[in-house]
Amino acid sequence: MTDQEIIAQWQAQDAPLLPVLHAIHDRDGYLSDDAIRAVSKGLGIPLAELFGTVTFYHHFARSKPGHSAPRVCTGNVCSLNGGLEILEALKSEGATPMPCSGRCDDMVPVLRGDQVLVGHTADTLQHRPTPIPAPNSGGLEECVFRHIRAPQRNTLAGFRATSGYAGLEKAVTSSPADLVALITDSKLAGRGGAGFPTGLKWKAVAEASGVPKSIVCNADEGEPGCFKDRAIMDFDPHALLEGMLLAAYATGAPRGFIYLRYEYPETARSLQTAIDEAAAAGFLGENILGVSGFHFHLRIIRGAGAYICGEEGSLLNSMEGKHPFPRNRPPFPVTHGFEDLPTVVNNVETLASASHIARKGAEWYRGLGLGEHVGTKVISLSGDIQRPGNYEVPFGFSLQTLLHDWAGGPPPGRNIQAVTMAGLSGGFLAGDDLDVTLDEPCIRSKGSFLGAGGIMVFDDSRDMVQVAHDAMAFFAHESCGKCFPCRIGTQRLTERLNGLGPKKFPAWQEEVNDIGSVMKATSACGLGMAAPLVTESLLRYFPDAIELHLSPPQ
Amino acid sequence: MHQVADNTRTCTMTLGGGSVNFREGETIYEVAERHRKEVPTLCYDPRLEAFGACRLCVVEVEGIRNPVASCTTKATEGMVVRTRTPVLDKHRTTLLELVASENRNTKVDSLSGYASQEFGNLLDRYPVRAGRFAGKKSGTSNTDDKNPFILRDYENCISCYRCVRVCAEQEGDHAINVMNRGFHTQIITEFNNDLRDSSCTFCGQCVATCPTGALGDKKALRAKDTPGEIKKTRSVCPYCGVGCSVDILTKGDRVVGIHPAMDGPANEGALCVKGQYAFDFVHHPDRLTKPLIKQPDGTFREAEWDEALQKAADGFLKVREKYGNHATYGIASGRAPHEAAYTMQKFIRATYGTNYIDNCSRA
Repeated sequence: MTDQEIIAQWQAQDAPLLPVLHAIHDRDGYLSDDAIRAVSKGLGIPLAELFGTVTFYHHFARSKPGHSAPRVCTGNVCSLNGGLEILEALKSEGATPMPCSGRCDDMVPVLRGDQVLVGHTADTLQHRPTPIPAPNSGGLEECVFRHIRAPQRNTLAGFRATSGYAGLEKAVTSSPADLVALITDSKLAGRGGAGFPTGLKWKAVAEASGVPKSIVCNADEGEPGCFKDRAIMDFDPHALLEGMLLAAYATGAPRGFIYLRYEYPETARSLQTAIDEAAAAGFLGENILGVSGFHFHLRIIRGAGAYICGEEGSLLNSMEGKHPFPRNRPPFPVTHGFEDLPTVVNNVETLASASHIARKGAEWYRGLGLGEHVGTKVISLSGDIQRPGNYEVPFGFSLQTLLHDWAGGPPPGRNIQAVTMAGLSGGFLAGDDLDVTLDEPCIRSKGSFLGAGGIMVFDDSRDMVQVAHDAMAFFAHESCGKCFPCRIGTQRLTERLNGLGPKKFPAWQEEVNDIGSVMKATSACGLGMAAPLVTESLLRYFPDAIELHLSPPQ
Repeated sequence: MHQVADNTRTCTMTLGGGSVNFREGETIYEVAERHRKEVPTLCYDPRLEAFGACRLCVVEVEGIRNPVASCTTKATEGMVVRTRTPVLDKHRTTLLELVASENRNTKVDSLSGYASQEFGNLLDRYPVRAGRFAGKKSGTSNTDDKNPFILRDYENCISCYRCVRVCAEQEGDHAINVMNRGFHTQIITEFNNDLRDSSCTFCGQCVATCPTGALGDKKALRAKDTPGEIKKTRSVCPYCGVGCSVDILTKGDRVVGIHPAMDGPANEGALCVKGQYAFDFVHHPDRLTKPLIKQPDGTFREAEWDEALQKAADGFLKVREKYGNHATYGIASGRAPHEAAYTMQKFIRATYGTNYIDNCSRA
């Protein structure tokens, strides 16, 4: 197809920029000046702005070999498990590094075109399906993973065979307000990490004025060490679709988008198959389930490699074809979301949970948590642990039990030195602070947070200053460049973990603390607020390692 | 530009200990500014949409854990706001130290541009420790950009994007934007070319709003080493009839540069390439300073105004006598203000009784 044909195909649709750029990028392997000019003209985006926006995304190449060149994961865990060596070995093919690409349970992912290969060395790379979550050894009742291991659950037939879409069928026999009340009553909260009550969000969008409203699924899972959404989408895509349909019914939104991270090309294909199947069976489209006026159309928007696009303001700007800086809040997406219209932005896990809640009820969901806690959380566990993978735990579950009993503990002969929380954003927990329960009040009392539920494990053979450096380098790489404390702060903290800056511990500590405190207090979004938890927790648990790093023995 | 309608509700809030009124819709920054509370900022330009990048304008709001950016936060009824506390001062100092650490030069000549001293002035106002947070510098300069007007010294750029925003929001040119992200952001034109290959109109608005002198006024900077103080004289741009207010910068008796007047009623800080940069004619040796009268041999001789005007009047009369009223055609200058244009058409219509009158802007 020519540039003009591609543009014509998308021009009249919502959110056309990323699909157009991807179509050209897939066709040519890169985005030429001429193509950018054509898109600027076709979509009416000023040329300088479009050029700037293209350069924002990690995966849009501006020259050959671009798309076909290998991109090797050098995320925190992969870089310790062969990622750097694979990158080196594939340099002759034009290989470039990419940040954590969400395959920490089966390393090391290498993107070649639209295929994900995995392996620990360059010559053993092969294509494998993503690992399915193992049943938990505690025999605890699950929500999100309840049916994920059922045969063919990723097909419409398999999904229907295990009560798929039953929750939706039940919901539409009652009013949208009843559905909102049910979700509110379940106390389901945002599982992307922010923990905002889902029922409140749906209610706000239902009551907001302005049409058409939108349901946006945040599937940009960019947090290092998080790969739960990938598992849900690969093995239980219809549960996500059902969750979005529920949100659509509750709010009256006729259009839905799944903003999917670039690094999941195979998920994009399988998700599209699920969408096509659902549409063919009448679960998407007009007058769904015979309910007059219940219309919902759903599309996948592929990201192009930008962690910040998991921040909802950036995500919405990215969808709209704007420079993906976070938005100033308020106003919030519930009133001013996609195209400044009321929008639900929910994480994959949240929406998938809603599908089960709609069927099993609010009381059932609340009862899944331990003690006072409500519901469950999927934890992505990776690093120096015998059985990495996704585990659905009840809120309030013991971290030590998860690490040692469910996941088999550290490699033989090793001890766990530290774990990360919230992927990387929560910094580290170590020492006695590993005796926590997995719920926000407990983790927050240790100065961290559970967030999206990624936990990377580092055993006692690891250099924690190096680990912290790699973590901060990730945040610096992904800082959007809008707000000063994050743009400069992540750079300066990375340098301070890499031998630059003061050589004496007290001066080093003062600089790092000052930067951290201004970032936490004044950054414009969660990236800049969370990044200094890495250095803060490093100082808390590993001051000796820092001293050693500043003045290595002669 | 953020404007609050005059008829909005008046509310009350506590600002720095005192009770103040504000109109619903105003931001905390706007209220603080009006009440002369010192709130520092580097990314704010009152003509542009608040952006919230520099975070220097953060203030404490009772009931909110983290300080909020006052430029992007609306004031609300009963809000209790503190604009200066030891904690805020510390944050602002650290932020300024971080910004200073990425720049090579924090003292730039004031001829660089209207706002060029903002950053340097803030560094002087806070107890900034020089040399803190040493590390990599940001920004790659494009000082060989081949244009006679705008210096692009991005080694002094602090990525506030005021230039990008003024170009888009005020001028509608969209000539420049932001490339890359994080510490590697860089102001660029399309495909990172020179300004002259972009949709830039060289209006100089980006230079005027730049708070660090990263964008500099090349023409004014020619006089950097000329001795003498810079004097500012308010005037009106001599070019077209819009009547943009300007401040003419002089050193001694030489015009060295032009600043747009932010409070100019016709332009509110805007200028075009001519008003901003085309002032060299003032001191040009070819400039006419006296009327010239053409002599029979085709050469010109200098004359006084009385003689020249009489000569012109004689000429008009002669043409009318010989060829009639419709033999004269008046073209008013586009540089003439309304009143002069009116007088011109009155002269042609009333004196000659003809409608042969036009304006060069239409030609």
